[in-house]
Parts: sequence; C-alpha cells; structure tokens
Amino acid sequence: MFRVNGKQRSWYEGMTVADLLRDIGDSHHYAVVRINDKHVSMPYFEKTRIPDNSEVFLIPLIAGG
Amino acid sequence: MIMEYKMETIKTFNYDRPIIEKGYANQTLFIDISVPDISIKPVDEKMKDVFIGGKGFDLWLLWHAVKSTTKWADPDNAICISSGPMGGTPLYPGSGKSIVTTISPLTGSVIDSNVGGYFGPYLKFSGFDTLEVKGKTEKDIVILIDGIDEKVQILETSGLPDDSYDLSAILTEHFAQGKPRHISVVSTGPGAKNTRMGCLNFTWYDLKRKRARYKQAGRGGIGSVFADKRIKAIVARWDTVKVDTNNPADGNALKAVGRKHSKEIAELDPKQNEMATIGTTHLVTIMNDFDLLPTYNFQYGTHPEAVNVGQEVYRRIFDTGYDGCWMGCTVACSHGVKDFVPLTGPYKGTKVFVDGPEYETIAGCGSNLGIFDPHMIVEMNFYCDAYGLDTISVGTSIAFAMECFEMGLIDETHTRGIHLSFGNRLAALEMVHQMAEGDGFGLIVGQGVRQMKSIFAKDYKADPHIMQDIGMEAKGLEFSEYMTKESLAQQGGYGLALKGPQHDEAWLIFLDMVHNFMPTFEQKAEALHWFPMFRTWFGLCGLCKLPWNDIIPEDNKDTREPAKVMKHVEWYAEYYTAVTGKKTKPDEIIRMSEGVYNFQRIFNLKMGFGQRDHDDIPYRAMGPVKPVEYESRRDRYDKELVEKHHVDITGMDTEEKIRLLRKFREALYEELKDAVYKRRGWTANGIPTLETVRRLGIDFPDVLELLKAHGIE
Repeated sequence: MFRVNGKQRSWYEGMTVADLLRDIGDSHHYAVVRINDKHVSMPYFEKTRIPDNSEVFLIPLIAGG
Repeated sequence: MIMEYKMETIKTFNYDRPIIEKGYANQTLFIDISVPDISIKPVDEKMKDVFIGGKGFDLWLLWHAVKSTTKWADPDNAICISSGPMGGTPLYPGSGKSIVTTISPLTGSVIDSNVGGYFGPYLKFSGFDTLEVKGKTEKDIVILIDGIDEKVQILETSGLPDDSYDLSAILTEHFAQGKPRHISVVSTGPGAKNTRMGCLNFTWYDLKRKRARYKQAGRGGIGSVFADKRIKAIVARWDTVKVDTNNPADGNALKAVGRKHSKEIAELDPKQNEMATIGTTHLVTIMNDFDLLPTYNFQYGTHPEAVNVGQEVYRRIFDTGYDGCWMGCTVACSHGVKDFVPLTGPYKGTKVFVDGPEYETIAGCGSNLGIFDPHMIVEMNFYCDAYGLDTISVGTSIAFAMECFEMGLIDETHTRGIHLSFGNRLAALEMVHQMAEGDGFGLIVGQGVRQMKSIFAKDYKADPHIMQDIGMEAKGLEFSEYMTKESLAQQGGYGLALKGPQHDEAWLIFLDMVHNFMPTFEQKAEALHWFPMFRTWFGLCGLCKLPWNDIIPEDNKDTREPAKVMKHVEWYAEYYTAVTGKKTKPDEIIRMSEGVYNFQRIFNLKMGFGQRDHDDIPYRAMGPVKPVEYESRRDRYDKELVEKHHVDITGMDTEEKIRLLRKFREALYEELKDAVYKRRGWTANGIPTLETVRRLGIDFPDVLELLKAHGIE
C-alpha cells in the first residue's frame, strides 16, 4: 500500500509515476509530484518508480514568481 | 552589542493620530529632508477610488513630486512607501506587504518593489497611508515615525554601522523601549551607496529567535536612492496589532473569509509545495527539470548539479520554526539559516543569521553563475542583504561579466587580476565585497548590465552587438531568474512589464510551456492582460500574491480556468469588500488595477520612455545567440524551423539556422506586442488611448496634455 494525497492506494512492483497518473485518469493536470520529500517532474514520470509505503502528493499547478 | 553612536534630534513633528477607517488612515506623511520639513497631506475619496492604495498612492504622489527631467539622484526624486487598505490584517494570509516606488538609477523611470516585514502596516496604523520622502542631506539621518507617542522625528546620527545587518539590530534595540516587536526598520548598506542596484531591508522582530529579521525591496536600485539621500534608516513604532486595528467595514465577514483561506493553506501546503518548510526552493529542481533554470548567463536551462542547490539540501540547512514575514500568515515562507559562518568579508568567522535564500537568489547568485555550492549561495545572500544589494541584479550582472570574460570581451587587465569565469565562487563573492567597498571591478559591475555594455564598448573596445544580445536587461533592469527562450508568453511577461523584466507582473512560463493553457496568440495576449492586472492589485492593497496561486484548492483543476484560481479571486473580492465596505466582484478587481497600470505606463511616457521601442528585449531572451546554445536544443530548434516555419534545413550550418530562427522569433515578438497593446487599449506605439484613460478615470489635465504631446488627442 501507499498513500496519494493522504488516501491509501494499492501498490504493485514496478509502478511508475506515469502508471499512477494513468490509473487516476487525469494525468494532464500534473507536471510535478512529490514522493516523500523528493519532487519528480513530468520528464521523469515514466522512469520514476514509486516505492512501497511511500507518501505521494500530486502538485496541482506550479505558480512560481 | 556595544557600539559608540550618537543621535541628535533636529526636527520633531507632533500630530494627532487619526482613527483608521475601513483600512485607510486617510492621510499621507510628507518629509522634505533638505529643509527639513514634515507635513501631512489629505487623502480624498477620488484618490481612493482611482488609485486604491499601495502602489497607486505611491505613483500619484511621485507623479507630483518629479518633473519629466528629474534624475534619480536629484533632490526632487521621492521615495514613497505604502501598504494598502488590507495591509496590516493579521488574520488573512499574506497581508503585511509594503510597496516602494522611486525614480530608478537603473532605468531612469518609475520602479516599484514589494516587500514583507512590518513597516507598511506600522506606518498606516501610526496614521499614514503613504510616506513620501524627498530632498537630500549632508549628514546621515534617521527618521522615526512613532505612532504610539504621535510624533515624527528626524535625527542626525554618527557612528552607526554601515551594514544593514548590524544597523537593523541596533536601531531595533534603540527605539524598542523594551518591546522590540513594536519596531520595524527600513535601511540599506554600503553596497547601495556605491552601485545602482541597492535594495532596502524591511525588518520584523522574530520573537522566537529574539532578533530583527528582514525582507528586501530589491528591484531597481531603490536602496541607492535612499543611500544617496543619506538616510541611514526609517523606523516605524507601533503597538499591538489586532484584526480591528485596521477597522474593517465588516469584521465578521473578514474573519469568515480570512479563516477559510488560512485553514486551506494550513491543510494543503504540506501536501503541495511545503512553502512553510522550504520556501520557494522547490522551484530550483523543478525549473531545472523543465529546462527553465538559468545557467551560465541564461545560455542554458538545466545543469546536472542543480540538485545540490535545491529543496532537498535547503530543507536540511534552514532553521526550523515559524517564518512568517507578517503576523499570522500561514504561508510563512521566509526561511533562514542559523549560525552561518561566512568564509570571507567583515563577518568572516563569526556566526550570523541569514534570511534566505529564496529561489531567485539561488538561481541568480548560484546556477546562473555556474555555482552549485549551497553554502556559498547563502554567503552571497548574506552579504548582498547586509550591503544593501539586490541579489537578482547582482546575479544577472555578474553573470554577464563572467560571460564577457569567458568570451574574451574583457580580460584580467579590466578585472584587476580576477579570473572572473563561471563557477568561480570566490570571484563572485569578491565582486560583492568590491561593490560594498566601492572599489575594483565590482564598482563597474555594480552599475548594472546596461552601463557595463556601454563601458565595455567604449573603454575596452568590446563588440557592442554581441553584448546587446547577451546582456540580460530590458528598460535598464536586469532580468529575474527564468529562462524565456521557449515561451513567447513569458517573453511578453518580461518585455512588456512596466518597470522592466521582473516576474511579479506576469509569470506565465509554466502555464504556457508546460500546461499549454494559452496555445493561441489571442490567448497569450489575453493572459498578458489579465495576469498583470490581477497581480498589480496585490500591490495596491498591501497583499502578497503567494496565497493566491502557490497553494491551490484541490478541486481547482476541474474549474473552467484553473490558471486563474478563481475560487481565491472570489475570496479576495470578499476580503476587499469586508475591509473597505465597497461591494466588489472579481471583474472589478481587474478594473481597479487597470487604472493604476495605465497610469504607470503614462508615467513612463512622462519620463521619456513608455513606448514600443522600450518594450524590446535582448535576443537571448527569445532564442539561441551562440552555436553552443543552438546545439544544446538542436532537436527543438530544427523541428521549429521545419514544421512551424517550413524551412528546408538540409545542409544548413548552425549559424544560418540561428539567423533564420532569429528572424522568425523576433517577428513573433513584434506580433505579440501588437496583440497585447490592442488588448490593453493602447496605440500601436504602446501608448494608452484617450478612450482608455477616460474609461479608467485617469484623464487628468496633465495626463491629457502629455498624451497630446505624443499625438494622442
């Protein structure tokens, strides 16, 4: 299991950030996610695996400035 | 702290403090330090209706203070400081901002810079919506605005420290009468005196850490004007602040909307960008991942070492604890480094507290100089603040000098033996120390990119054309720290900004490049109308923009226009209504800003700027100048030439492709100007039309006369 924005989800071996966003169904809204304390940006979604028992946050918009 | 210093009162002005009414003191404070003279000017309803407060009030007072011929160092130039009608509200996050305006040493026109700390609210609660200071003195002075004892004083001083770090601490203690939280100090340092890029430090007293801390009004050299007038500091003294200190029209409505926004931030920030823990440092690695982090004087947008200066590192370096620059703010992003020991300069070997670094400083004094050492960036941050230097202009100016050095446009005979190459940490720090000392090559770098271009061409015979392309300034102001080459919207965000290329007016780069929220030309022009207008409004009201769109409602993505975060815009309209009693909807917020925004554009015109040519940007902001830049993104650029511009690039060398790409991109930028001017109600030359100024109620006789002189009638 792992948590996404505070809610429990099932985890499977090899799951990437891109897999998670496809499962959730609105991947186009997110350019950055945070896995525990580490930010992962869109160019790395396909190759970044989500560890079991991790805490994932979907960052809705980068506003900057 | 033992320091031998003297302060002698040379002028005292006693006054009866007015009751704050719906966010306004309804009067401004005027000080001419040449005479010296202190007086009060009334604020009428028309001024509130048209200019709202904050930057609007500043601009109105400055407009009357200066002539079209006034230069930054003339006694007539004024420094105006305001908060705004919502400034000083402790319940609503981000409600303690001040805005400072003056005629800039870098641009020769109006500059505005917003800043946290307690000064603006304390000034207002002491009885003044705006402070206007003009004149010059021959001896150092401190100005005290004491709202508790209802007096304003000018004091001649000697023996106070030059740097803002010690000066802030000493003056806080001197005026506190045992209550340091009642004091806010505005000051600068020796770097401001010797350069054109001086900043102002605005303090608040951190009760937990038992020290004065500060935020910076950084942009445009306002600190240099302050130092040139020989003002050591302006001090505000005020008592306890509560929600009703600002006397809102509807306290219950204010509490309701303020609690909603505070609660949402407290709940969502830990799930989103964690600004209460890591400030804006999260942007470093994100910008790097998207090829947007300036490195090596904006040549490239990414570097493998960027992770060394990102949030994962600063999370461990920052001192933990509450870091709001205004009371009760739940964003609380003003982090700092405790017990930092500089390796160079006058504080070498001693433990200091460093306020920062924020993203801009990390990018400006770090990656853009090829420096990826987190502690060296902290040291640059510390000395820039203590010396009263803007970290953005310092970073972008040193980056330009470093590239000129590496290209052989300047050499060690000019830098006086310093090997000013990218990545040379000690050389970068030495430039900062020299700016403070007013000596060496740092004295030239401290004049800013525009002056350097001129000096290098005239005195060192460097090629002016290549320097024009790589010197990252527009309107005379150094670019802040985002790569704009691949975002036309952000090129406009910088180039069409009134004061010069600073991101506080329009930060569209991510919305344009990553989220693709504005694919068409018209959508870009619309964004370059709406976002600058909405962002302007924060500076009219005494607010910080971070609570608006840096922490976002979870359902925002499902709204019609997610980039605008309309739920928060509606809350801000409720907030304005609750404080001022003027019933307001989101569209009216844009209308309020339009008046002030257009007035500032016309102010630029008065000072000899504010036309189409003045919105030009250097080519590096639009595309690759050198073959190495082109090659670093060759696939992207080749694709653009082939697919978008239908060019057959077979057999074409890189230089030729650069030339063609430049032609297309420069034409697009000119088209963007046309579209934005039209949307803003300006002529093709970028001047507001008569219809626009009449619609916005800024058709004052002297405005009409000025427009007429430019053929607008």
